[in-house]
Amino acid sequence: MAAKGRIVWVSGPAVRADGMSDAKMYETVVVGNSKLVGEVIRLTGDVAFIQVYESTSGLKPGEPVIGTGNPLSVLLGPGIIGQIYDGIQRPLKELSKVSGSFIGKGITTTPVDMTKKYHFVPTVSNGDQVEAGSVIGTVKETDLIENSIMVPPDHPGGKISNMVSEGDYNLETVLATTEKNGQTNSLKMYHRWPVRKPRPYKNRYDPTIPLITGQRVIDTFFPIAKGGTGSIPGAFGTGKTVTLHQIAKWADSQVVVYIGCGERGNEMTEVLVEFPHLKDPRSGKPLMDRTVLVANTSNMPVAAREASIYTGVTIAEYYRDMGKDVVLVADSTSRWAESLREMSGRLEEMPAEEGYPSYLASRLAEFYERAGRVRAIGSPDRDGSVTLVGAVSPSGGDFTEPVTTHTMRFIKTFWALDAKLAYSRHYPSINWMNSYSGYLGDIAKWWGENISQDWLSLRSEAYGVLQREDTLKEIVRLLGPEALPDEEKLILEVARMLKIGLLQQNSFDDVDTYCSPEKQYKLLKLLVEFYRRGQQALKEGALLSDIRAMPIVTTLLKARMDIKDNEMPKLDSLDITMKEQFKAITGVKITN
Amino acid sequence: MTSQGGVQYSKIAEIKGPLVVVDDVENAAFDELVEIETKEGERRLGKVLEVGNGKAIVQVFEGTSGLSISGTSAKFVGKLMEMPVSKEVLGRVFDGLGRPKDGLPDPIADKFIDINGEPMNPEQREYPKDFIQTGVSVIDGMITLVRGQKLPIFSGSGMSHNILAAQIARQANVVGTKDDFAVVFAAIGVQYSEAEYFRRSLEESGALKRSVLFLNTADDPAIERIITPRVALTVAEYLAFDLGMHVLVILTDMTNYAEALREISAAREEVPGRKGYPGYLYTDLSTIYERAGKLNGRKGSVTQVPILSMPSDDITHPIPDLTGYITEGQVVLGRDLFRQGVYPPINILMSLSRLMKDGIGEGSTRADHSEVSNQVYDAYSRSQEVRALAGIVGKAGLTDIDLKYMEVGDMFEKEFLTQVTDENRTIEETLNLLWKIVSKLPKNEITKIKDKYIDQYYQGK
Amino acid sequence: MVSNFALEETIDKILHNNEKSVLSNIQSGFIESQKTLDNAIPKLEQEFDKIISDGKKEADKIEKQIIGSSDLEARNKQLLALEIAIDKVFTKAIDQISNMTKSDDYSNLIKSLLEESTQILGTTNVIVNTNSKDKTIVQNLLSKYPGAELSSDTIDCLGGITVKSKDSTMKFDNTLDARIQRMKPLIRKEIASQFGVGN
Repeated sequence: MAAKGRIVWVSGPAVRADGMSDAKMYETVVVGNSKLVGEVIRLTGDVAFIQVYESTSGLKPGEPVIGTGNPLSVLLGPGIIGQIYDGIQRPLKELSKVSGSFIGKGITTTPVDMTKKYHFVPTVSNGDQVEAGSVIGTVKETDLIENSIMVPPDHPGGKISNMVSEGDYNLETVLATTEKNGQTNSLKMYHRWPVRKPRPYKNRYDPTIPLITGQRVIDTFFPIAKGGTGSIPGAFGTGKTVTLHQIAKWADSQVVVYIGCGERGNEMTEVLVEFPHLKDPRSGKPLMDRTVLVANTSNMPVAAREASIYTGVTIAEYYRDMGKDVVLVADSTSRWAESLREMSGRLEEMPAEEGYPSYLASRLAEFYERAGRVRAIGSPDRDGSVTLVGAVSPSGGDFTEPVTTHTMRFIKTFWALDAKLAYSRHYPSINWMNSYSGYLGDIAKWWGENISQDWLSLRSEAYGVLQREDTLKEIVRLLGPEALPDEEKLILEVARMLKIGLLQQNSFDDVDTYCSPEKQYKLLKLLVEFYRRGQQALKEGALLSDIRAMPIVTTLLKARMDIKDNEMPKLDSLDITMKEQFKAITGVKITN
Repeated sequence: MTSQGGVQYSKIAEIKGPLVVVDDVENAAFDELVEIETKEGERRLGKVLEVGNGKAIVQVFEGTSGLSISGTSAKFVGKLMEMPVSKEVLGRVFDGLGRPKDGLPDPIADKFIDINGEPMNPEQREYPKDFIQTGVSVIDGMITLVRGQKLPIFSGSGMSHNILAAQIARQANVVGTKDDFAVVFAAIGVQYSEAEYFRRSLEESGALKRSVLFLNTADDPAIERIITPRVALTVAEYLAFDLGMHVLVILTDMTNYAEALREISAAREEVPGRKGYPGYLYTDLSTIYERAGKLNGRKGSVTQVPILSMPSDDITHPIPDLTGYITEGQVVLGRDLFRQGVYPPINILMSLSRLMKDGIGEGSTRADHSEVSNQVYDAYSRSQEVRALAGIVGKAGLTDIDLKYMEVGDMFEKEFLTQVTDENRTIEETLNLLWKIVSKLPKNEITKIKDKYIDQYYQGK
Repeated sequence: MVSNFALEETIDKILHNNEKSVLSNIQSGFIESQKTLDNAIPKLEQEFDKIISDGKKEADKIEKQIIGSSDLEARNKQLLALEIAIDKVFTKAIDQISNMTKSDDYSNLIKSLLEESTQILGTTNVIVNTNSKDKTIVQNLLSKYPGAELSSDTIDCLGGITVKSKDSTMKFDNTLDARIQRMKPLIRKEIASQFGVGN
């Protein structure tokens, strides 16, 4: 029975209503005369504490509250890809048809067009047995996405009958019915799933395949695995959003869920404007054909910001269950944590550090735990993954604040953005000394098998140079660069080249914005070779100033922008040029 | 407008800080406008912060001093706070609550608009990409402003932020359009002289007739400052989206706004976040800053230049910190440059315009703009490192190329950054100055510019 | 004069002797100054242009300023004139209302005001105030509202009533004055458009 109560108290997004003894925890309720959407987050006696997902301006005590009987859920079916939703899966495009350029209140719409017809191809026949999660057919959702129509995870399954033949159907069409223990259930193209409940899977795999992002500092130095977790903390102006956009653009996944959680409106607009024109480097199709946006910008109601994370991750799991690799980018988990803090404050809970509720850590853990590469339930066998990347916006750029420190406990890749690097226009400003990746060992095998066996050792050698430079910089700071011997000056020079030629990447440059694994490897190898040959040249009496003056230096620094992914032989020829120039300054033949 | 008006309640339970708690309230809505009447018949405005169980907590904009438990009454007006708007607001001066301050009558309203506004639907936004020429080289060349952007100036006490903002307001124009342009200026707790400087500056450039001023000066009620930016932005949105004008909104000083917010939070005994500011400061600030933008299918735009003084020049202080997370970049003034007498004293390394990349280039400024500015950033950054090093090891310990960079840094500050307050440089002049700086460097140091532009513009040996 | 002649001769001589070098000096001086002049001309022209353009800029600035402020002044005078007109309309309207004969219609108006007021306060247990002229009309209507009393204190208003709860914690102002005040912005807009001003 649906609860019917009455508002007794309003303060911002928080509402208390009495007469709610029939309400359930996390039930969705309709609040007030203007029919706002809310969710029950605490029950005391017959008083329900409700967080409201829309602006409560003008709401009065005495207005009605009506329960829906259902927990906050998302609708999962074809038509989600390419959409931009608010935090509770209302399509923003549809909202604008009702309320214009600004977001109105109390508007109800369906998340996808229920009348749109898709061409359905059945993959099971009458008489087949299906279980929860089994695929019964496919539809083409976009040019890039084939949507597998699955038996919902909470469906009893059974023997298929009344299967429709191949043809065009809309979402409400009953595609088939199942029979089990004398009970009949129908199957449609869509189902609903509560956002706070992870979707089930059969088993989990170790993350061993890298997620290629085309960003050198990530893929080469601090990689993330498919099904892995990563976090990107940074003060404002360190290029967090640009880096996240780069991951959303170029990651080699089939689906991208981008959650703008308490961030800028124009950033979502940028994605909406840019993605339809950008082509996926692998398929050549517009990137929007694989992207879903969940936009709850900073000025939109704060409670819906809390929900947006769950809405996004549930959509991600849905596509994972079809056997796809999904990347979910959440910008920013700090704003999400703030929405928890705000509701907790209104609930008058005992605050922990910096006013955050004591359950902040467990909520973060629950969220990141929804990442993984899994075998889906049902048949046929499907392996998919959800990779979670969360931005953190530490106040004052201080990594010791609660959201950053708790996040670090639950993620394995940490890309620390550095204001100093950003101020010197070193982008992406990922600090190579403070960042780490826990997947390096797991995914080295993939690089070895797919690119080259010496990848890991080249990477270590290059990283070694950067580490040496970090210590040498201290000496330079005290004594000046001239105090160092030539061997160490060479390290400074090579570190500079690694920074400019490899670590830096211009996301606004057509060529440099995406770098294939092959190109990454070749650039890395060229720079390491430069270091090796430089050392040898010095031993053989060459002058450091001659090494610095070689034309190849500038060529190597510009190679990332000048040489396209399909021009790999050009990179190989640089190696020969380099060899010749070294030869010229030493007069000695250098062997490899 | 309702013709009902509201019930006046006179059972005041408590007065604390800027808050009045009214008991036995039957019919009040959250956020509703409240008219407080004192014993002496004086009227003040406020709004409902919390309502329920027969109690309403009202925040009084003009402050509670002089109010008493008996004799004070609160009238719940039955509507949210609204600002009357029409084209006639141009050329007018209002107080911090949007009431006339220039001796002229209330504007005859075309519309009454809820001052809180509604969030723009991100799907309906138009991505800002029209270059605004401010005539200030360092902004046009290195931290480009575009229409619909929110770009704050982070300053410190006593620095020349208001002079800079006034110069931008006078000179800003969009090359190649005849659309109407307007300035909305909100003084939030600043000294009278600063507000007056701004007014005069607009008057002298003949821009006053296309400007609207909202003045809450230092001696005006502090809580009123919560409202000042909101009424200003309501008018700006009307001018932009109803009348199709390009509106530049200057809000100074947002630090005073945040302090008023802290005062209310403290009176409500809320759990404080950093430095006593409420945990919702970020969300609250965003409801102001996010009101900048452009909309699909509408002609106008709202561009915001909020000014905030960083307490003890600390950029990690919650106010600049949270602002920076919301705005699309920041213009940071540097104390060192200011002390050296440089105007505008902008520290470009800490400054950034996020929307610059889309507002520049072929068709709006020039194809080489992005690359030449990148190179200058790089060079200036290097020159600062060298300067620091020279401070320790002396010039003798520097290499030739280091010395070159030092020269470039000096040239940047003296010839490019420095500008007089009424000097209006075209973008062409600005870009040529950038090339003059780049040309000081030997060619092999230029790693960020494509060869074709080097061939075209490089003047060095 | 001899001495003068001699002097002249000497000068001539000196001149003659030095003629060549003097001439070449003059010539080189001339070329030099020519060069300087040549160099100076574009500079001068630039300077000239700058002075002209600065002057023009200044003139533009002043022109803008003058036009801007005189436009504004004219507009503001118009606003004030309009307000005077609006005030006149208001005064006249209020005069008419206060001189209105107390017909049945008026009694019905008071009745609806009472109805509305008690509804908003949520009780009929109230004290009603009105002006001296309307006292009887109000008294006659009060019988329908149990608990309602007419206060002996009269208030100064055009008409209508104020209603307050007996514990005087709630008060609702439903005088004609208050209603006109609440309607004023809309009425002003209406009047302004009659004058052909405003949007």
